[in-house]
Amino acid sequence: MTQFLQATVNGLLQGGLLALVAVGFSLVWGVMNIVNLAHGAFVLIGSYIAWKLQTGADIAPLLGMVVAAAALFAGGYVIQRYLINLVINAPIWMTLLLTFGLSLVLVNGLVLLFTGDFRSIHTSYGSDSLAIGDIRIPYGRLIAFVLAVGFTLALVWFMDRTRLGLAIKATGMDRGAARLMGVTVRRVYGLTFAIAAGLAGAAGAIYGTVDTFSPANAGIFTLQSFVIAVLGGLGNMWGALAGGLLLGVVQAWSGQYLGGTLINAVAFAVLVTVLVIRPAGLLGKPYYEARVEV
Amino acid sequence: MTSASSATAPVGLRAVGPRQLIAGALVLGGLVVLVLLPQYFLLSSEQRTLAGVFMFVALAQGWNLIGGFAGYPSFGNVVFFGLGGYTTAILMAKSGVPFWVALPISAVVGVVFAVLVGLPVLRLRGHYFAIATLGVAEGMREVVVNLDGLTGGNSGITVPAVGAEAVTSYPGNTGFYFYFLGLALLATAVVWQVSRSRFGYGLRAIAQDEEAAAAAGINTTRLKVAAFALAGLLTALAGSIYAFQQVTIYPARLFSVDITVLMVVMAVIGGSGTVIGPVIGAVALQFLSEWLRTHYTDLHTFIFGAIIVVAVVLLPMGIVSFTRESIAQRRISLLDTVRAYRL
Repeated sequence: MTQFLQATVNGLLQGGLLALVAVGFSLVWGVMNIVNLAHGAFVLIGSYIAWKLQTGADIAPLLGMVVAAAALFAGGYVIQRYLINLVINAPIWMTLLLTFGLSLVLVNGLVLLFTGDFRSIHTSYGSDSLAIGDIRIPYGRLIAFVLAVGFTLALVWFMDRTRLGLAIKATGMDRGAARLMGVTVRRVYGLTFAIAAGLAGAAGAIYGTVDTFSPANAGIFTLQSFVIAVLGGLGNMWGALAGGLLLGVVQAWSGQYLGGTLINAVAFAVLVTVLVIRPAGLLGKPYYEARVEV
Repeated sequence: MTSASSATAPVGLRAVGPRQLIAGALVLGGLVVLVLLPQYFLLSSEQRTLAGVFMFVALAQGWNLIGGFAGYPSFGNVVFFGLGGYTTAILMAKSGVPFWVALPISAVVGVVFAVLVGLPVLRLRGHYFAIATLGVAEGMREVVVNLDGLTGGNSGITVPAVGAEAVTSYPGNTGFYFYFLGLALLATAVVWQVSRSRFGYGLRAIAQDEEAAAAAGINTTRLKVAAFALAGLLTALAGSIYAFQQVTIYPARLFSVDITVLMVVMAVIGGSGTVIGPVIGAVALQFLSEWLRTHYTDLHTFIFGAIIVVAVVLLPMGIVSFTRESIAQRRISLLDTVRAYRL
């Protein structure tokens, strides 16, 4: 029983972090119909910025996280505004190829700069943990979880309560109508991508404090974002949170009881089955079924 | 080299004019050169490089059928490659089946799997289809990794290729040059035949508007599944030959997403939905990739990624339709396509 509870707690803590990794991916997909295969690379760039700031200039990881998020926000805006917007009206696999090429460039850029070695960001509280009965909760994981869920909720608030958030939502629902209402779609697309990249950068910096990372992780981050976005429904922030927690818990349980990597096969089977039976995700509404973009 | 089989296919009496004769002569001449090359001009290593080029021609043509003609962007075609390769390797290593028996069995496995997976997955569209196929390929890799009694898991499986245990003698670089050349020609011939058949027109109609195609009396499910199965057939054949060529195969390589992406990039950059486009794309990109690998070993993938980005932005419609447009309008401007698709 204790084992089960411990696995569940670990899964939830990991799941909150996964939700922050995936929420930007889901936002970009839901609003712009872009599957950003470079998303995992953005997460890793965040990790490396925070790591470099700490090892090179002795800057605290939490401050490093802010810098990483800001840097990726700016970079994300430029990438969307001056690169992805160029092919946004081409057939959809163009954006897939474009972001795949981008991901190759970024991941291999990281290998060239920092080598393929595994890194981690050390924190003063890294080795301590909170004990509730027999269950141990490492402080590092708890802080990471709180930060990640906090950012995700802040995004939900931002999307529902600010003019820019509403403009982003409106653009995602009907680009033509949003334009007629005075939304500058070019800029909104840029900002949407910037927000997603910034959150990915923050997620990467936080992830670096609780786990090791190397450029090879990029693909896994992107894939997990896929699964979470599909489970939660595209562009649905609450869905991303729920999907992240679900994936975290399922991974933790399977790690505890199944072993091996067969669970990955099960995860993909679940993904394909969900897609076939309910393509809009578990919580989602159909968005892109029959839309004509203007 | 233009459409590879125009010399052999039945074109019908009315179609044979001077243009057809010239095209036929060019294709025949090109074939003769390709057949004679290895014997007189090529080093063994160059034959191996060219064999890789031919393999990707076949893979890109396979993707072209489902992605280019039917408009279903499969991101999991590598699953057929892996299944074909593993079927051949297991049959040869565990059952002592000769390669020439294992090859058609692998093709059948590819077709059956394409039909089984295609029936549910081809109901999805757009990104959803792309991701479902990606999920199928990744999931199959995990299955292969975990069935280690049969497949050797992550440590791979080795085809008996030399010595007394060899069931089929290893044909060497020259042999594989011809195997892959034959496969590339077969794939291009298949695509050529499809492109001028009712089947091909049906697929194009599906790509443009599936509801309208269905309303016009096209059995969309049957056509889509047939195109997917044909793609599965060609890709599984490529995987089967590749497994024999490599001798030892690993799941990470045989089910690599990179192979899928390469076929998509090659077909799209060359011109998806055309006969010659994937050939141009595969030849150009494979040579480029090999050249980068030898001259810039460290930067190879980095530069290759940058080239994909630039090519997608400047040539989203592919080299073939870009050339056609340029000739028709008598002006060459890469920015025209950018203007058409930017926001």
